[in-house]
Amino acid sequence: MNKLKQLLFLSALILLVSCTIKDENPRWVINEVMVDNQTGFMDDFGQRNGWIEIFNNTYKTQDLGGRYLTDDPNNPKKYPIPRGDVLTKIPPRQHVLFWADNEPFNGTFHVNFKLDPSKDNYIALYENDGKTLLDEIVIPAGLPTDKTYGYPADGIKFDKNNNTLATQLERITPSSNNAVLEENPKVVSLQENDPFGVTITITSMLVVFLGLILLYLIFKAIGNTAKNISHKRVASAGTLSAVRGESLLTGEVLAAISAAIHELNQDVHDIESTILTISEVRRKYSPWSSKLYTLRQDPRR
Amino acid sequence: MNTLLTLGDNLKTFWDYTGMANAIFIYLAIAKEYEPLLLIPIGFGILIGNIPFNEAAGLQVGIYEEGSVLNILYQGVVQGWYPPLIFMGIGAMTDFSSLIANPKLFLIGAACQFGIFGAYAAALLWGFAPNEAGAIGIIGGADGPTAIFLTSKLAPQLLGAVAISAYSYMALVPVIQPPFMRWLTTPKERMIKMKSPRVVSQTEKILFPIVGLLLTTFLVPSGLPLLGMLFFGNLLKESGVTRRLAETARGPLIDTITILLGLTVGASTQATTFLRPESVKIFVIGAFSFVVATCAGILFVKFFNLFLKKDNKINPLIGNAGVSAVPDAARISQVVGLEYSPSNYLLMHAMGPNVAGVIGSAVAAGIMLGFLY
Repeated sequence: MNKLKQLLFLSALILLVSCTIKDENPRWVINEVMVDNQTGFMDDFGQRNGWIEIFNNTYKTQDLGGRYLTDDPNNPKKYPIPRGDVLTKIPPRQHVLFWADNEPFNGTFHVNFKLDPSKDNYIALYENDGKTLLDEIVIPAGLPTDKTYGYPADGIKFDKNNNTLATQLERITPSSNNAVLEENPKVVSLQENDPFGVTITITSMLVVFLGLILLYLIFKAIGNTAKNISHKRVASAGTLSAVRGESLLTGEVLAAISAAIHELNQDVHDIESTILTISEVRRKYSPWSSKLYTLRQDPRR
Repeated sequence: MNTLLTLGDNLKTFWDYTGMANAIFIYLAIAKEYEPLLLIPIGFGILIGNIPFNEAAGLQVGIYEEGSVLNILYQGVVQGWYPPLIFMGIGAMTDFSSLIANPKLFLIGAACQFGIFGAYAAALLWGFAPNEAGAIGIIGGADGPTAIFLTSKLAPQLLGAVAISAYSYMALVPVIQPPFMRWLTTPKERMIKMKSPRVVSQTEKILFPIVGLLLTTFLVPSGLPLLGMLFFGNLLKESGVTRRLAETARGPLIDTITILLGLTVGASTQATTFLRPESVKIFVIGAFSFVVATCAGILFVKFFNLFLKKDNKINPLIGNAGVSAVPDAARISQVVGLEYSPSNYLLMHAMGPNVAGVIGSAVAAGIMLGFLY
């Protein structure tokens, strides 16, 4: 019973760990927004307008087609992003730029609203059903001309305390990474904080031991259960093996005893059995007419 | 005359690139039978990858030229999908029953992973960056596919040196381990006779890959490619109803991938990147990691024995087997054990920590990947 409790406890622990891991950052992130564009990036028509950068925050290619972009909380379906445009298929961890120029006939990436620098600008991205919110952001009024608002690192909306990281950005980076990663931040951090590898060694060995200790405990419990079941079976069957559970005899000794008994029985049988019986073998069917022989053999499993 | 000059230049370039390292590997593989299944493809791969040609001609034949045949084959290394396929084959050929019968042997497999992190620390001290140190450290796992998988992610520039070092030391396990096994054990300890492992039921064997996968990958999700395929291969073997798939995984598939892996790792290795002081350091650290792993396993068994009943003690000579290197390390336990007690057969007992080492090194690689990638 105790073993069963241990197993249940371990299962509950695993479930708890798995349930506490949650994904706080959405699949699509409105990553960077410019409201008032006077001297910055131009569109294909040579026009300067505000723009909205959306980031595919997953590790797979996703299609934005069919989703909705809006600046009105009461009208989630304001700008339906056209379906069937190959350019709306955004590769993993990549960006796409929408021009807020109120010129939807200029192409897929030109929405039917403009951003207003004199007031707060609400921008939201909705799922194909027009009801499920994918991401939203509010750009505060008074954002300076030619400046952008968004997240310093692509797709990361919240810090450890769940506070939003949205802020006015130092660098304008339309359709490219908000933070330029020249070095692996994990490696840089380890170089600074763990130059001799002590922390990583202790942590890693603890994880390795924890994993294998859990396996040890679980398989010890499973093994004990299997042994108990096996003993009960052989005991109820009343075979020689039942002795094994009760005695201190090793497997080799029991095997030797079994072999000796078997040999003895065979010998007795050879001496006693002197009657030869010949019985007629009747074939009720012929392989020539058997349907079975005409079928192809099943493939080996 | 021009033709002769060109030929001379080409030969010089070839020599500069390969340093005839390929000849050494092919010699070791054929004459000494050191890991021939890997060293022959690697050695010949070095030959293929270093034939000089004019890249400007646009022939698309070089391993680093996008779209070339060698480049396409090399993607299995770059993208890291050869090692998990090899792991599937290893899973399909490995019998975990000695480990299931005596699950405390799992802990020896864990202890031997000190080799990985000892080598990691040594590489840091010798001036390698943490990601490079992680790639070098995994040599201590004595597991070629894991080493290649992790190095291709963390430090692809060291792939040739790490792969060759890992496989060379795996081949040299019979030379490296026995002196430390004798040094760290007393004659009395070497004579310890372990109980015969119990018979493991089919149900337990089927449960093993499922429970093993869930537990290890919950703890270390980054180890999923290796552990997932290892346990999948093992389920193919143990389920008893997918014999054809298991036979393919442990036979033709693993052989095919081994050929492609060895050949492309070799072809991607050039003397300009291989014959450097860094490679010498990697070889030294690799040897150190095997020594640390061996000693850690043996010392852990001795420590563990302090808590075990007299008739349940473990022979410390199986401690070395936790370094994976299946089944060579287990065979060494058997050979050294027989030297001291001709009736003490340790092979089946040593297979426990040996296969636990495979799981342990894959978990350790997952941790390294999580920390450094």
